[in-house]
Amino acid sequence: MFGTIFKPLFRNKKFIVAFSVFILIVLMGILGPILYPKDPTSFAGKMESPPSKEFPLGTDTYGGDLLAKLLNGIRTSLYIGFLTAVISMVIGLLIGSISAVKGGVVDDILMSFTNIVLTIPNILLAILVATYLKVRSAEVVAILLGVLGWPWFARAIRAQLLSLINREYVYLSRLAGYTDLQLAFEDLIPGIATYALMAFILFINGGILGEAGLSLIGLGPTKGVSLGIILQWAVLMEAVRRGLWWWFIPPGLIIVALTSSLLIVTTTMDEIFNPRLRER
Amino acid sequence: MRDHTLNPFIKYLGRRFFFLLLTYFIALTIVFILPRAIPGNPLASILSRIFQTGQANPELLRSVERTLMEEFGLGKPWFVQYVEFITKALRGDLGTSISSYPKKTLELIIPVIPWTLILLIPSILIAWIIGNTLGAFAGYRRGSLVDRIALNTSLIIGQIPYYWLGMLLIFFLSVKLKIFPGQGGYTQGTIPNLSFSFLLDVLSHYILPSLSIIISALGGWAIGTRMLVVNELDSDYVSFSEHLGVKSKTIFGYVFRNSLLPQVTGLALSLGGALGGALITEIIFNYPGTGYLLFRALSTLDYPLIQGIFVILIASIYLANFFVDFIYAIIDPRIRLGQGES
Repeated sequence: MFGTIFKPLFRNKKFIVAFSVFILIVLMGILGPILYPKDPTSFAGKMESPPSKEFPLGTDTYGGDLLAKLLNGIRTSLYIGFLTAVISMVIGLLIGSISAVKGGVVDDILMSFTNIVLTIPNILLAILVATYLKVRSAEVVAILLGVLGWPWFARAIRAQLLSLINREYVYLSRLAGYTDLQLAFEDLIPGIATYALMAFILFINGGILGEAGLSLIGLGPTKGVSLGIILQWAVLMEAVRRGLWWWFIPPGLIIVALTSSLLIVTTTMDEIFNPRLRER
Repeated sequence: MRDHTLNPFIKYLGRRFFFLLLTYFIALTIVFILPRAIPGNPLASILSRIFQTGQANPELLRSVERTLMEEFGLGKPWFVQYVEFITKALRGDLGTSISSYPKKTLELIIPVIPWTLILLIPSILIAWIIGNTLGAFAGYRRGSLVDRIALNTSLIIGQIPYYWLGMLLIFFLSVKLKIFPGQGGYTQGTIPNLSFSFLLDVLSHYILPSLSIIISALGGWAIGTRMLVVNELDSDYVSFSEHLGVKSKTIFGYVFRNSLLPQVTGLALSLGGALGGALITEIIFNYPGTGYLLFRALSTLDYPLIQGIFVILIASIYLANFFVDFIYAIIDPRIRLGQGES
């Protein structure tokens, strides 16, 4: 069964390219700091030196090795993106499915709550909360982004489930005396699995971009290096206007490569699994 | 029957207005609760910071403390604090800034708001128009080479954060090629006035930050509209018109109009994110708007100013949201004529 699902994906060129780019960056984040074991925070020697044999990506104002920072930054940013996605996913799935299965007043209340969170500008709220937290770990940043990111997903899940619930096999399960929970896990969740996987990927993107945005205004993780934090220091030290391109171009490139490869993975999955989009 | 029911147009707008007002109250409540709920009293930390810098004379310090105590209403029961906070916020009294004491926060916020509006509104509208048109053409020619190129570039462009694109534009067009100025809203040292040369100067400073918003926002709209158009092409009315021999240009017109409707709502929902992105873009460009003021407030931990900026920004987003709802109600005949209400 595994083969029949994933085989068509690996026959699609676009998917292969995007997936390889993504895996490559993930490997950079996981293995990079092990294979290139330099301390990203220590003074490496020269200040603001362009890429050389000794420092493949150059150094920053404090003599920090930018390649070491980049590799560790990828690791932190991926971790934040992943954690954000898990949190948004769990909340969105819970609210969306409870809303769809229970219906009635529960549905009304949950959906108004969802619409309110959807309408509150979440980046602004994240900035506001972050200003009051003096110590922000990577986890805190992920929770902040995750707790604010789920509403569109909850609405989509509810809509999908409502269309599934009226199918015949669900009706039969109800007749067979399934509880709501059984119904959700056995009949409904498999029906929304690919959709949820795609949403998960989009949430990872949201987490990575959100972290970079928060960091740039100085509200990112207070400890460690992330892609956003490298950019933040580049801005603070006027790297852009002083032409220190090796400082701000690589982290941005990685963010764009990472998020767009993930997005291409989801859209090709959509093209393949969604019969309405399949080319005729 | 008609006499007893309200005009559906008014009813729809009334419902939206009530919803946005409710949401604004919730947002205000969050702004109220946060500094009081988070451990490590921010008031104490502000004062200790002022003490540490040692610049302030004791008398000024005492008067700052008194103002703060009064404005945060500390010591009073929480519901009194809450009512005071809300009534003050609605009256436009957003407290006194700490970093620019004794200026009112509103005095600091009002002059920077036009800069942000001038940067944000034309840029997102241009991005919306260009992106949707591109996406619609790509979707209509689905599967063609043009479609594939447009789709893939939009996918990647849409992932470039505003601020990083801004950095690239500054580096290449300002630092390297020296075509446009790379920072500020106007040449430093000049005094804002309405002369032609000053407006020209503002325009040359405007191009790069605006371009970074337009380019990176465009991709998302293009992808969205493409998908909507592709779905719309499957509808019965399209194949019916094709069989009738209706001109393809006319069919494209129908499809485009129907696909744009959800994108109007999308515009309202994207405003918050666009504003967040624009604030960061302003920081990158040292552009004298709200983002830059917020950045200064954050780095001096000027909590009243931070709060004030949020109360105003969230209110403006909701106003804009309501405006988009209004437009939506006008262009969607189902709402205008009160049909299709379920």
